[in-house]
Amino acid sequence: MENLLEIQDIHTYIGQFHILQGVTVEVPRGSIVALLGRNGAGKTTTLKSVLGLRPPSQGKIIFDGAEIQGRRTFHIAGLGIGFVPENRAIFRALSVGENLQIAERTKGDLNRKSEMIFSLFPDLKRLIQLPGTHLSGGQQQMLAVARALVADNRLLLIDEPSEGLAPVIIEQMMEAIHKLSAETTVLLVEQNFLVASQLAERYVIIEEGRSVRSGKMADLVNDAATIQRYLGAA
Amino acid sequence: MATASAIPIQRNTLLSQVRGNLGPLLVFVALVALPFVIGALDGHTVSEVLVNGSGYSMFIQGLMVEVFILAVYAISYDLVLGITGLLSFGHAMFFAVGAYLTGVLLKTFKMPFVPAGWHLSVTYAGLALVVLSSLLGALARWLPPWRATVDRLSTPLVVIGLAAVIWGLFRSTVGMVIIAGVIQALLFGIVLPRVKGITFALVTLGIASVFAIMLGTRELAGYTGADVGLQGIPRPDFLNPATQRLRFYFLGLAFAVAVYLIYKRFVNSPTGRVCVAIRENENRALMLGYNTFLFKLAALTLASVTAALAGCMHAVFKPLVSPEIAGMGHTVDALLIILIGGMGTLSGAMIGAALYRLLDYYLFRWFGASAGFMLGAIYVSFVLFVPYGIVGTWRLRNLQWKQGWRKRLQALRGGGG
Repeated sequence: MENLLEIQDIHTYIGQFHILQGVTVEVPRGSIVALLGRNGAGKTTTLKSVLGLRPPSQGKIIFDGAEIQGRRTFHIAGLGIGFVPENRAIFRALSVGENLQIAERTKGDLNRKSEMIFSLFPDLKRLIQLPGTHLSGGQQQMLAVARALVADNRLLLIDEPSEGLAPVIIEQMMEAIHKLSAETTVLLVEQNFLVASQLAERYVIIEEGRSVRSGKMADLVNDAATIQRYLGAA
Repeated sequence: MATASAIPIQRNTLLSQVRGNLGPLLVFVALVALPFVIGALDGHTVSEVLVNGSGYSMFIQGLMVEVFILAVYAISYDLVLGITGLLSFGHAMFFAVGAYLTGVLLKTFKMPFVPAGWHLSVTYAGLALVVLSSLLGALARWLPPWRATVDRLSTPLVVIGLAAVIWGLFRSTVGMVIIAGVIQALLFGIVLPRVKGITFALVTLGIASVFAIMLGTRELAGYTGADVGLQGIPRPDFLNPATQRLRFYFLGLAFAVAVYLIYKRFVNSPTGRVCVAIRENENRALMLGYNTFLFKLAALTLASVTAALAGCMHAVFKPLVSPEIAGMGHTVDALLIILIGGMGTLSGAMIGAALYRLLDYYLFRWFGASAGFMLGAIYVSFVLFVPYGIVGTWRLRNLQWKQGWRKRLQALRGGGG
């Protein structure tokens, strides 16, 4: 299978701290890949390196055949990479509808996509006029994902979609991510192994800034020793 | 249900526009009537007011012109700080450049205020060319055989027209002020992508301070009047505040209203929404693929040109252009005004400017030297008790009030069913 995104041995510093010390990730087109690892292993930094928010000092990032490391963030995003950050970062002063409109890259296409978005997140349709400040955590997360969808992104980077959400909402979110993987490719960071193992087809384990293991999720699920060693949980 | 799932777009009928903007409309009507009402209270007829025969009415008009100028200046700061979230401490420079340039060009260089003579004809011809070619472009849609020709011609025609307009502007004070407004915004644009937050505030303060010091130097005193201020600016006859006060009043009013409408349109446009998004979370706007620098520069340029035009009006209206308008204090004036009125609300800047100027005038008139203390107390209590400003707090209350009623109605309906 051809890779949409290839992260080749990147090193990233935050200030003087050497956070990523060789991360290699391959994301095949049309798949969901999960980045696993303990807190502070460098999963989120990997996503931010891809987007140019924390540009890597070494290594290559290849998106759709072109090297994108060192390019500016808005340029990288413009290539069709959407980011759903951990803190959601919706625009609170704008309404739900405006949040969606602003994310739209090819203008005037919102109505076509709104149907798909509302079928994934029926709640958002009801809330379309509401300012972002009035949304609950789950609704914010839905809006954050919906916003990444509006832009016709070819790759979605999703950071901790299940964090801080009620179990019912997590299920809804998982269903949505599963559905949207039919159209886009997803690189997912997820602490909750149960969620990650049900969603992703492939995994990459990051430990202390290095990618140490990767393979098919189906194999990892049966490999209790590896799970115990790198993730500390079954 | 394809249509039902579409994002609802608000219909802008004339009626809904009027209903939605009832408050501003009423204020506008009141301001149009104000000179005549004041004149009538003073025992003068409408025709006497029209020929500037009522002294007290003229005085109030003068006070209001100052309010209009201040309002335009404050709203331009609201666009920079309240809408786009750029903390600039150099905003006074935007205003002062307009004021001093106007004074120096009129006094030292004897430049006409607006394009005159055949320069005026060229400017109008250019404007007509732009309008005509746009019209032609619109009409050509219904005339297929002409379409290709018109399409080929329209761009060069617009360019020639715009070039003529700009050429005309270069030969007038107002035009030079607009051009200077763009240039100073570009100057801020140099530092814009490099520094953020409080560092941007300090760098802008630095640039503005250099300008303020320059105004005060003896070497330039021949042009600027140094610390005495710029005096004896020759005024265009048609806008002499002494003889044409009422005309000046209505021009000021029209200017303030036009700026308010343009700003409102800008903030509600897609570009304006990106500016709000930048204020909220710039990284996030970047991640959506927006080159935030260009949007910040656009807001800054619009604000700079408006502030410079307000300064231009100030120079024509006031008998003296004081170097104080370039100082830090004048930026703080704008900050205070939008804090009082409500940051990021636009209309708050207008209301705040009126309150600021009128309070200042009447408190000093009634209480003399102790007014400064009272003003300070009023501003502090505003920050403490009306933290979102007049308009901001009013909007918040209004929303809560509406939500409360909606809940009560729902409870009633639920109880009935």
